[in-house]
Amino acid sequence: MRAVVFEHAGVVRVTDVAPPEILEPRDAIVRVTRAAICGSDLHFYHQKAPVAPGDVMGHEAVGVVESVGGDVTSVRVGDRVVVAFDIACGACWFCLRGQTQLCDDAAILGAGTFGGDLRGAQAERVRVPVADVNLLHIPDDLDEERALFIGDVLTTGCYAASIAGIGAGDTVAVIGMGPVGFFSVQAARALGARAVYGVDLDADRLALAEWAGAIAVDASARHPATALADATEGRGADIVIEAVGTTAAFESAARVVRRGGRVVVVGMYAGETVEMQLGVYWARALELRFAGLCPVHAWWERALAEVVAGRIDPAPLISHRLPLEEAPRGYELFDRREATKVVLIP
Amino acid sequence: MPMFPTDLWFQDLIAQINGSVEYREAAATWEGDIAFLVEAEPDKGVANDVHGLLDLWHGTCRGGGVVDEARGTAAAFVISAPYSRWKEVVLGDLDPVRAMMQGKLRVHGDLPTIVRYVRAANELVNLCGEVDTTFPDEV
Repeated sequence: MRAVVFEHAGVVRVTDVAPPEILEPRDAIVRVTRAAICGSDLHFYHQKAPVAPGDVMGHEAVGVVESVGGDVTSVRVGDRVVVAFDIACGACWFCLRGQTQLCDDAAILGAGTFGGDLRGAQAERVRVPVADVNLLHIPDDLDEERALFIGDVLTTGCYAASIAGIGAGDTVAVIGMGPVGFFSVQAARALGARAVYGVDLDADRLALAEWAGAIAVDASARHPATALADATEGRGADIVIEAVGTTAAFESAARVVRRGGRVVVVGMYAGETVEMQLGVYWARALELRFAGLCPVHAWWERALAEVVAGRIDPAPLISHRLPLEEAPRGYELFDRREATKVVLIP
Repeated sequence: MPMFPTDLWFQDLIAQINGSVEYREAAATWEGDIAFLVEAEPDKGVANDVHGLLDLWHGTCRGGGVVDEARGTAAAFVISAPYSRWKEVVLGDLDPVRAMMQGKLRVHGDLPTIVRYVRAANELVNLCGEVDTTFPDEV
């Protein structure tokens, strides 16, 4: 079968790989009908996190169940499903408490050794372990592209906004208007935020922020700290969601939040370091919450309900639909920020 | 009138510092250069970050002015904020030590050292206000 594999830093290619097989009785094989390139794929693409040459990339996908192991009970051959990007056992102490990203056997599709050596989903087929836990049915009346992001970025945005404790009347700033930021804006508005400010440098992403209902702040023209201070009688945002994963974004988040405010860090980090004046953070009584990976299994039904109800709309995010064979171009476009979201069609 | 944050403005500030008995007394034991990092706000007329250096030593300023990024960030203390915040400082609308503790002015360097010299810091801010200043967002 055809699959997108890592070649070396900054290069992927599409090649033939052996088709996946059922290895465990709780496995399912999903025929992928749509896959997406995620911002975190770029971390692997650039070797910020390691994958090896030949590893199959990707973790955002929807498709049709093609075969199941003998112990699978909740999905059947022919079901349309969303695939969870992070694979959980569903039975350990953490999973039973909804923190599936902290699962004792946590794995991530297409993340190489870092993710448990599971093959990725940018392929014609993907093996999904513990299928009863890691697949979600797509309702008959929902098209697959609207469901695609529920396995990762859409639900991650909902998760970030929810753990931020956004309430009516809050002024929220979202740093980074990539896909997670885009969905964080929509989720924050659905939760009743008084105003949501979307901060980015990129014109296309700022346009998406405005579409999603945010007040766009072009950080190349306006200092985010000043923009949020001006909007709040000098205080700063009540809640900030950092949806980038760079030290500059982290520092920006800490600067636009008000005293006593809350910062949720949902952007992905690896080995970065920052200098923090702990006394200043203490004196400002900041709440700092590292979201980690999204425990997608605990949140995806709520996220799906938001999509079905029309309160969250993923459609405007998709800028490119490409055949799987054009995945290398898709990576280049996304990496150069010439695409807001690339969907691959096997 | 010098415009903030130009080199001319910093030279005027240095003259104010060296003419101040109050600052000389308050900072008599201070040792260490301080850089003001005025962060760009293009919509307010400050297109790029500006690093203003003050080589402060025992109550006087031995020199300084607008310097490049490498020199500015090498200072013992770097105090950074958006232009708008600095404007509040220059106008005397922002207590500098409180602003540091509230994160409105970000300090790179040993914060407790600056806090111990609170009187000197306040005198420095008062002297900023003595410079006859124009602001780029008001011209």
